[in-house]
Amino acid sequence: MVILEVGEFTRVEGNGKAEIVIENGEVKEVRVKIVEGPRFFELLTLGRYYWDVPDLEARICAICYLAHSFASVLGIERAFGVKVPEEIQLLRELGLIGEFLESHALHLYLLVAPDLFGYPDAIRMASKHGELVKEGLTIKSFGNYIREIIGGREIHGINIKPGGFGRFPTVEELEKIEKSCDELLRMAKRAVNIFATQEVFGAVPKYHIATDEYLYGEKLIASDEERFDYLEHIKEKALPYSFAKQSKYKGEIFMVGALSRLILKADRLTPEAKELFEQNKEKLSQGYVSLNNLAQAIELVYAIERAKEIVSRLLDKGIEGENVPIEPKEGEGIGYVEAPRGALIHHYKIDENGNITYSNIITPTALNHALMELSLYEETRKNYGTLNENSLIRKLEETVRAFDPCISCSVHLVRI
Amino acid sequence: MLKLGVFELTDCGGCALNILFLYDKLFDLLKFYEIKEFHMASSFKEHDHLDVAIVTGTVSSQRDLEVLKHARNYSNYLIALGTCATHGSVQGAVEGKIRDKLEKVYGTRANPMRALDSKPVVEYVAVDFALPGCPYDKMELYQLLIDLAKGIEPVKKDYPVCIECKLNEYECVLVKKGVPCLGPITLGGCNAVCIRSGLGCIGCRGPLPKEANPTSEFEILKELGYDEEYIRKKFKTFARGELRW
Repeated sequence: MVILEVGEFTRVEGNGKAEIVIENGEVKEVRVKIVEGPRFFELLTLGRYYWDVPDLEARICAICYLAHSFASVLGIERAFGVKVPEEIQLLRELGLIGEFLESHALHLYLLVAPDLFGYPDAIRMASKHGELVKEGLTIKSFGNYIREIIGGREIHGINIKPGGFGRFPTVEELEKIEKSCDELLRMAKRAVNIFATQEVFGAVPKYHIATDEYLYGEKLIASDEERFDYLEHIKEKALPYSFAKQSKYKGEIFMVGALSRLILKADRLTPEAKELFEQNKEKLSQGYVSLNNLAQAIELVYAIERAKEIVSRLLDKGIEGENVPIEPKEGEGIGYVEAPRGALIHHYKIDENGNITYSNIITPTALNHALMELSLYEETRKNYGTLNENSLIRKLEETVRAFDPCISCSVHLVRI
Repeated sequence: MLKLGVFELTDCGGCALNILFLYDKLFDLLKFYEIKEFHMASSFKEHDHLDVAIVTGTVSSQRDLEVLKHARNYSNYLIALGTCATHGSVQGAVEGKIRDKLEKVYGTRANPMRALDSKPVVEYVAVDFALPGCPYDKMELYQLLIDLAKGIEPVKKDYPVCIECKLNEYECVLVKKGVPCLGPITLGGCNAVCIRSGLGCIGCRGPLPKEANPTSEFEILKELGYDEEYIRKKFKTFARGELRW
């Protein structure tokens, strides 16, 4: 028996590794081990006043803090039966778009592109491909600018609150977004061309899952046309070798992420993103995990076009800056938000004083855990014995990277 | 060239990510530093003696402890970066013993992955510089690394968030709106960014060293009508049991 070790994974967020068990030349088992320590967020928020909770949940992950505070706010508002007006909805969506741009640009340009060009990192890649790295950083800093004006800070701002915002962005701040969009769109389209050439690898999931609207929603949807609440069809189990739990949909392995969003919700894309999707549809519908990279590149185009739409709508009607007042009462609510790396679930029960009595958070990386193991299994089977060990391990790391995993997120799971 | 390593223990990834958010300034730093290890950003890794090691996160598992010991043993100058590393931050605030917590969240008292109760880096090893913040202000880190490269003694901030709030002429949310704001007892350096949003400081940079007066803050919040349990939890969020009254 040979145990092949991959790890700890580099150019991903957080600490994880994999073990592949090989017996008589056959791949027997793959274990993806999340070694990032447990942080017990479900216990941290227990008994806390609802108002303070989104600020704490943001700390689950820095790359997608705004998705966490947004999902938390949605769960809380639904528990209280609060609905916010269009202005607040659009501004929150804009914030999330900023996060998509920041996160996808980090993943594609700084973490994945070095694989395409054969470098250990973007810093070393910059000597030959400086222009590309620069474009990535430009999109990333633009995304961060949006996170700053909507979320309150580049990382862990606390501006997204139940009922609205601490502070609304000014007209000047929004105009600045509008001005940058055209140039950024050209860069994003170039990224689509680059990632469209990447070869395919990884497994093909049986199902795709996403939120029912493009960036957030009231329910989840799946590729078998089911529209559901997560507890109805997603079951989790703890693993002895990992701080993340594993999920199945109707007992089967599934995927969440950019590829899943495109496959399930292409009809909602903006014009240029839709065109790029159509051009690459044949390739994308093969469904390999690695196509998540190309899907993210197309989403960069979507995010920029959508940001422009939202800003122009907001500027047309002017910013009123009115929050919705909240009266705490007993209730239960679930927030479904698309984090850049896939559907994210925040579920709360709150008592009549506004204190949290139950919380459950399921993150995209945890939802993808089973598919990640399957992908490594299939890649090893395909390449073991033909590739030398270093090349094989490199291939397996590229496979893990395609998920854009956020390992910090994945370790805070269901409270039983 | 100075040799630099970035080591991540258990955290949200933000303190490592914030280094990448330096953008052009990161390339300035690379004129003085050669990165020998930084797993979020690079697959390049060289086991070498380091001039400067940056450690982020809390020690939350045996694996973290081993990484930390390695970083300490192989470096001349160790920076504990971010509130997790300096004070324990949110995961440090979760009460209870590790096996009880594992049982509540994973449904078993077994601990095959050797998890530990989350504690800051400073509880395990001597550090040469502690820079708190959830996250820290990225320009603070830039300045610190430039100072070290030039052999200048780095300066530590020693004033509360209130100073920056006043310099920005923001309205005091504690006095004017009765919002629970930890600005008076929290170390400044964030440019009072949350008060800019009209929200109270949640204390993410940890307590003001030496001079914090939590008793007085506690009394003010009680007078405003907040109950003791609420205030206790708020004080504890980022700094475990450090704020006493």
